[in-house]
Amino acid sequence: MEKSKTFHRRKIVTFFFLCLVLFCGLTARVVYLMVFRSQHYTEMAEDLHQRERKIKARRGRILDRNGEVLADNRTVCTISVIHSQIQEPEEVIAVLSKELGMEEEDVRKRVEKVSSIEKIKSNVEKETGDAIRAYGLDGVKVDEDYKRYYPWSDLASKVLGFTGADNQGILALESYYESWLEGEPGLILETTDARGVRVEGEGEKRVEPVSGDDLCISLDRNIQQYATQLAEQVKKAKEADSVSILVMRPDNGEILALADVPEYDLNDPFTLPEETGAVTQEQQQELLNRMWRNACISDTYEPGSAFKIITASAALEEGVVTEGDTFQCPGYIVVEGRKIRCAKVQGHGTETFVQGTMNSCNPVFVTVGLRLGVDRYYHYFEQFGLKKKTGVDLPGEAGTIMHKKEDMGPVELATVSFGQSFQITPIQLATTVSSLINGGKRVTPHFGLKTLDQEGKVTHTFAWPVEKGIVSEDTSARMREILFQVVENGGGQNGRVEGYRVGGKTATSETLPRGTGKYISSFLGFALAEDPKVLALCIIRNPKGVYYGGQVAAPVIRQLFENILPYLEEKEYNKT
Amino acid sequence: MAGRRGRNKNEYYFDYSLLFIILFLVGFGLVMIYSASAYGASQQMDNEMYYLVHQATAAGLGIVVMLVVSRIPYHFWEHFAVLGYVVSILLILLVMTPLGYEANGARRWLDLGVSVQPAEIAKLAMILFLASLICKIGRKVRSMKGFCMILALAGLVSGLVWKVTDNLSSAIIIFGIAGLMLFVASPDYKRFVIIGIIGAAGAALIVFLIANAGDTEGMGFRSARILAWLDPESDPSDKGFQTLQALYAIGSGGIFGKGLGQSMQKLGYLPEEQNDMIFAVICEELGLFGAIAVILIFILLIWRFMVIANNAPDLFGALLVVGVMGHIAIQVILNIAVVTNTIPNTGISLPFISYGGTSVLFLLIEMGLVMSVARGIRLKDV
Repeated sequence: MEKSKTFHRRKIVTFFFLCLVLFCGLTARVVYLMVFRSQHYTEMAEDLHQRERKIKARRGRILDRNGEVLADNRTVCTISVIHSQIQEPEEVIAVLSKELGMEEEDVRKRVEKVSSIEKIKSNVEKETGDAIRAYGLDGVKVDEDYKRYYPWSDLASKVLGFTGADNQGILALESYYESWLEGEPGLILETTDARGVRVEGEGEKRVEPVSGDDLCISLDRNIQQYATQLAEQVKKAKEADSVSILVMRPDNGEILALADVPEYDLNDPFTLPEETGAVTQEQQQELLNRMWRNACISDTYEPGSAFKIITASAALEEGVVTEGDTFQCPGYIVVEGRKIRCAKVQGHGTETFVQGTMNSCNPVFVTVGLRLGVDRYYHYFEQFGLKKKTGVDLPGEAGTIMHKKEDMGPVELATVSFGQSFQITPIQLATTVSSLINGGKRVTPHFGLKTLDQEGKVTHTFAWPVEKGIVSEDTSARMREILFQVVENGGGQNGRVEGYRVGGKTATSETLPRGTGKYISSFLGFALAEDPKVLALCIIRNPKGVYYGGQVAAPVIRQLFENILPYLEEKEYNKT
Repeated sequence: MAGRRGRNKNEYYFDYSLLFIILFLVGFGLVMIYSASAYGASQQMDNEMYYLVHQATAAGLGIVVMLVVSRIPYHFWEHFAVLGYVVSILLILLVMTPLGYEANGARRWLDLGVSVQPAEIAKLAMILFLASLICKIGRKVRSMKGFCMILALAGLVSGLVWKVTDNLSSAIIIFGIAGLMLFVASPDYKRFVIIGIIGAAGAALIVFLIANAGDTEGMGFRSARILAWLDPESDPSDKGFQTLQALYAIGSGGIFGKGLGQSMQKLGYLPEEQNDMIFAVICEELGLFGAIAVILIFILLIWRFMVIANNAPDLFGALLVVGVMGHIAIQVILNIAVVTNTIPNTGISLPFISYGGTSVLFLLIEMGLVMSVARGIRLKDV
């Protein structure tokens, strides 16, 4: 037998050390994976092993300025199935389709789908959820969560907006204040094996949901309700297309009411009011969007004579006119060969500037506008904030549609001076006039006041920008007096309220295209004339019969003021 | 050390450390198989002890056979060297007949009353055959002709295992064993270093070409495996799935592990959990300490082989032990490298620990051979 030689031993030892080196390399690799990559792989593995079930957070409520609930939550149930835990699929399908009123086919598809958890239906009434739970079926989960509920159904629908299937805000305030209202959803984490069966002994991890904060808004439910009633009455009486009433505080921009009839039912926002004959999905959606649209924010119109307030303020501020200046009105005025007519065909004759405003005389304002000239007029247009959006806390605000400065000639300037040939939103008009009569502070119109936690403690107070000095105190005071005269003795007499000094301005504008006989009648009023605490704007679109703002819209504001001025005094809103 | 251990009435040496290591590995393997397979067994077989019972039966039988073999002088087996070589080739070819059957998508097994994997038998047969052959041809092994002949004889079996039973890993092991025995038998280094360098460069080139191939369509599954190896997270649901699941298990074990029986990945996530991937379950349950302990045990085992081979009474004995040493070392290194995604995925089991009856039985027979060689060591020689 051959003996093994020295070189054999050396080679065996060599091999051993080669193995040792390789083992050391593998050990290093294992150390790398189990120490330095441990967190990464642990997280990925946990992701794989854990089944998540979301718990909806309670959405914050929306309260009016007196704490009345405008948007609330109701307990509803979400029904889901866990495929791997279902024992009797046929019974589950039968029970669920019966109790939920769903097609058996739909339920079957979901029940038989191999997934760790499958949602059958959400927003199920609590009673139905309880009934399903009472069957005690294996693999059927009934989770309670919240659904939005609007106790006043269609009140302030275009202000509040509504929420979607996952309780996310879709429109208006619900959408704008989403981050305050939504809260943080909670989670239930269960550890499961590869087939989705819960592993015994591995406790569920629960992350509790955090409720959203309540939002307190400046709206007053009483005023809103009354404004809505008035709007509905006048819409019916004048067979108008729509009527908007905006009530705000000129001193700080708080909006007390914003009615835009027809409103819609917030608890059922996807149902159109009547059979519309809309066939396609897009047509349907288009009609819904129109129904949800807030005309005060998202639609522009020609403000008409109400805009004379802006022209007058600019002219007074610039000193190109005083109250006593006299004008001649032959019923028209010629600008660069173009005849611009006054509302009163036979003319107002000789009149002062104040009388011209009371009469809403176009030639007077054309003259004043031309005295200012394009440069100065444009300067004030911008200084008053008319080129910017108001910054109201509702989504979808439309911008101003205005001539470019370089495209403006005397004719354009003349028409702009009495509120035609450009477009602004109603909220823009109300905000600008508020700022001109409140002493020259450009306020930001808004609803949001503060947020409250579950205990009612204030968590955040919203601050809204105020730009001071857009006109002088003096001009502001003179404007208030002129507008008081308009209501007391001029074209706005229908806006007079017994016992209160009210200022205001009427407006009537023909809609585009001209000559269709469609008009927008409006009236803007404020009280008290020397110390404005409330400003209201009523816009009636396409009224039948008499369409003059002074005849149609002013009485609406009068009725509104007759009711809310005493109420506001009582509520002491008019005390700062 | 060996001398102190061996100081009993018998003047011959019995390697108790080796016996202990083997028994420990087999016992530990059974515990881990039970832990890793209980969930899957209760799902598929409705009997969570299924894999444990099978493995324990094979291991019990294997230990008895090992002890018997350790008492038989190893030269007895020299008579069967050629026969074993021929029989192993025949068994491999039998896989193609109706006696062969397919499991887990590969046709590797023979149904001879009990299920047998010919590749496992071929490994033992190859060790015995080459040890005997190298002793017979003596110094001719140093010549180019002898060198090539041995490689050709090993390559034949290796090629059959690869092509007939579609088992690349076993083919690599068989060829690796032959290479190692040849390396030990010839005094030359240069030849082996050159072959090693060429092999490494070739592998690197192939990987480089596949990694940079723009068109991944139409590539074989081995190419796809190489891509999955380079970045398992890029294809987590398909080719990278098994590797990634193993990495989840290893990584989530951390330093101290989740505790015996606490693996999450064995609950149906990790494929081959009681088989090729059992090291991942060990990592997950016993942590870095458990993993290093297992590696240390294997290092100890290979060290014992080295000691025995170096003190073997003759070249035949030494070569037998070297063959076994190569078998265990290559298989352990490849298995751990695969599980930790150090090399591309190829099915390779962890000796003594992975589930597999034929495997553990033949490994224990090899251990019996090594013990028999150890017995031949006269104490005065040590």
